[in-house]
Amino acid sequence: MYSLLFKSFFRTKIFLVSLVLLLTVGLISILIGKQYLVKQENTLIAAQEFQEESIKKNVMYHNDDLGLLLYYLRFTLAKKPSNINAVSIGQSDVNPLLQAVTIRGLEGQKYDTDFENPSLLMSGNLDLGFVVIYLFPLVLIAMTFNLYSEEKEWGTWRILAAQTSGKAAFLYKKLFVRVLFVFAVLILLMFMASAILQIPMNENFWALFLQSVLYLLFWSTLCFWVVSFLKSSSFNALALISIWVVLTILLPAVVNNYVLNKYQVPEALEAMVEQRDGYHEKWDMEKNVTMDGFLEAYPQFKKYPVPEDEFSWIWYYGMQHMGDLTARETSAEMMEKVMLRNKVSEKVALFVPTMHAQLSFNNLAGTDMVSHLGFLKELTKYHEKLRLDFYTKIFDNKPADSVDWSKYKVAYYTGKRNIDWVYLMLPTLLITVVIGALGAYRLRKL
Amino acid sequence: MRKNVIVLLARQLWQNAFRSKVMLIASVLMVFLLLFSAYSGWENYHDQNYTRDIMQHEVQESWENNPDKHPHRMAHYGSFAFRLKHVLSVFDLGMENFVGNAIFLEAHKQNTVNFSEASMSTGLLRFGEVSLAMLLKVIVPLLIFYLGFHTIAQERENGTLKLLIGQGITRMEIVFGKWLGLFGLSLVFLVAVFLVLLFFVVLESHDGLHTDSLLRYLVLLVSYLLFFAILSAITILVSAYSKTAKGALVKLLGIWLLFVIIVPKSLQAMGYYLYPTPSKIEMETAVEHDLVQIGDSHNPDDPHFKALKDSVLLAHNVDDVADLPFNYGGFVMATGEALSTEVYHKHQNQLYEVYGKQNKLERYSAFVNPYTAIKNLSMAFSGTDFRSFLHFKDQAETYRYKLAQEMNRLQMELIPNKGKAGPNVISSDYWKNFPPFEYDFLSIAQVFKNELTSLLALLLWSVLAVVGLLRSSSNLKAL
Repeated sequence: MYSLLFKSFFRTKIFLVSLVLLLTVGLISILIGKQYLVKQENTLIAAQEFQEESIKKNVMYHNDDLGLLLYYLRFTLAKKPSNINAVSIGQSDVNPLLQAVTIRGLEGQKYDTDFENPSLLMSGNLDLGFVVIYLFPLVLIAMTFNLYSEEKEWGTWRILAAQTSGKAAFLYKKLFVRVLFVFAVLILLMFMASAILQIPMNENFWALFLQSVLYLLFWSTLCFWVVSFLKSSSFNALALISIWVVLTILLPAVVNNYVLNKYQVPEALEAMVEQRDGYHEKWDMEKNVTMDGFLEAYPQFKKYPVPEDEFSWIWYYGMQHMGDLTARETSAEMMEKVMLRNKVSEKVALFVPTMHAQLSFNNLAGTDMVSHLGFLKELTKYHEKLRLDFYTKIFDNKPADSVDWSKYKVAYYTGKRNIDWVYLMLPTLLITVVIGALGAYRLRKL
Repeated sequence: MRKNVIVLLARQLWQNAFRSKVMLIASVLMVFLLLFSAYSGWENYHDQNYTRDIMQHEVQESWENNPDKHPHRMAHYGSFAFRLKHVLSVFDLGMENFVGNAIFLEAHKQNTVNFSEASMSTGLLRFGEVSLAMLLKVIVPLLIFYLGFHTIAQERENGTLKLLIGQGITRMEIVFGKWLGLFGLSLVFLVAVFLVLLFFVVLESHDGLHTDSLLRYLVLLVSYLLFFAILSAITILVSAYSKTAKGALVKLLGIWLLFVIIVPKSLQAMGYYLYPTPSKIEMETAVEHDLVQIGDSHNPDDPHFKALKDSVLLAHNVDDVADLPFNYGGFVMATGEALSTEVYHKHQNQLYEVYGKQNKLERYSAFVNPYTAIKNLSMAFSGTDFRSFLHFKDQAETYRYKLAQEMNRLQMELIPNKGKAGPNVISSDYWKNFPPFEYDFLSIAQVFKNELTSLLALLLWSVLAVVGLLRSSSNLKAL
């Protein structure tokens, strides 16, 4: 029975078209991922060179003024690239891979963007995640919408009904053949991605893999459910494409619009201005206004004198830090808002498998908002450590060659997050089971 | 062709459509989406512009309120530019949320435009955004296909096509009648959206912006009219050349998926693949490299700056820079600013050329894909395309340069050289006299120039649609 079903399926036009479409676009998406990884690598090499060169050159010119030297020098913190990023590029094209910062105020440097073509940002990356979320369901729809109706429309259903014992069982088998094919292609692409992109088969990879399987299972049962109404081919095609449009375009877009409008972030702009004013106004104030705030934050520098009527580096860097302190509250509010956007989106996504799949993919690939926020937090710590290291030396008027510059290479951030399997799998699984049961219930009287 | 017959056929299509469930569901959905996107588009536009306007004023106020000080301190104090949205961004969001909104303008340094909505969003943004234009570009075409796929194919399947022809109705009348009916249906959605939009445009048009917004509005209206006419023609043609209604539907759905979802994205990705964007750090390295080649202002023995100094000394016939009739530090900084800005712009233009190449493939595909044409036109005339963003960025950069150089000029003229007597600060009146940053949108003539390709493509498609309809009229199969 199955061999016949496979044979007749392999002879259909849709089989060939689907196979070619999925494999080509899938392969393209993997190559795009590869290119993305190469770009990351080149950027990191460039960053390392930039840092070395600029240290070398500036140390030469400003050896006797460490304070001035560190006005110029930039130190890089980068996200440690992980090859799984390439499967779901997510927000990592909008958010920069690295940040090269001076020890001056951080707030004005933290949010600098990298260059990316906005047209590309708008159309989004053609990564494997896209192929799984958008194209695979379309192929499933194309292969199953006339599962029953084509037999009916060709007039073969009566003959079949007479010859098979279970009419529903026949449909199940036919469906099974098609779903099996789709999964075979998915597995093939996943392993190709793993091989070409050299993704280690760790927990994250398997989680991503299983999420994809579950997601396609959801679509299979959804198609099955629509078919179980035993309507005409035209009706099914219309209904399934409409569902696809609602689930992959309209609903997520509506939620996104809602979230962006509901939680606007004017704090971002405010913090930027606050930081500048918080720093610059100190130039026109008594020096102790700056020093009181600065020494409260870092009492260990109390012993350094601050000359009243001339420039000193402790005062200068104190003013810079006051800029950050002024903006700190607003900046924290901004982060909270962004997190809130994320939280609300994730909550809603629990009920919509497409959204859940996209957010989980980004999460597992480490390319979502949360992982960027983690990077920004780490950047703040990194910046503080740099400052505290250098402050003492600057305030002691040490020369530049007293610092071991070879220690200052590009630093890396690795965000480690645990996978919550229940949260990851349960929502889509539940929805799939419910829809599947509805379909099976409908078909029981066939 | 008899007019009354065509109108009769069109009306019949209308009546059938309004009796069908598809139209009912579509209308309910469209009303909801229309209200939602009008509301969220307006709220977004209004709130964001409100905040940015306030911020721009605050920034100006704090600039003016600075006490007397050294002008170079003001050059570092700098200013901010906030990007204002065009009222038509209510209609088409375009790249609005993917480009930055605020930029810090200071001496010596071109900062990036930061805080795009995208940088503060979750992965959901990649599913797209709902806007009035998105409904017209993405959803309505699908509805046109839904409502029109069966028009001719089903009549043929039922045998009613033969009857019509038998009654003396010409093939051309049938084709154009059906087309008119379908086009008329699509206008229901078009009119609804543009009426809502007109309200916003009139509400928000003040002073000189009025005619500009209205003109843009009109161009958008005409473009979408053409677009829908083309889509209706495609639907009728596919239906006319398909054996069965089901076949027509499957073909049309395939066309929609390919042209709206898959092809634009694939071409954009391909462009990106062929012409990779350099990272910022790479460009910064290149800029620094070029600058050092010309002259390194940090290096006291640099030949370029040494020669500059010597020539200035010679020209004024003095031995020491302190004896020059102007502040030498200000002079060096003014020269440095001009130099670094030039080098930076050279590299920035190279970057934009890369972007241009990346987009070219998708842009020219408008000749095979009318969706691309309308997409680009719609963004451009709504003031939300990349050119509009660049226009803002250029203005901000011009302002930054003017600010830095004005402060350098003040330093040269009013601050004494090192070791000479005189005040080290200048009056705060000078800050008050420096004009604030004001942003104006791209002129409509410029937008026309930018979008020539898309306009041409849309017109060609219109001609093609008419030709297609005429041809199908002559070889429409009745059976």
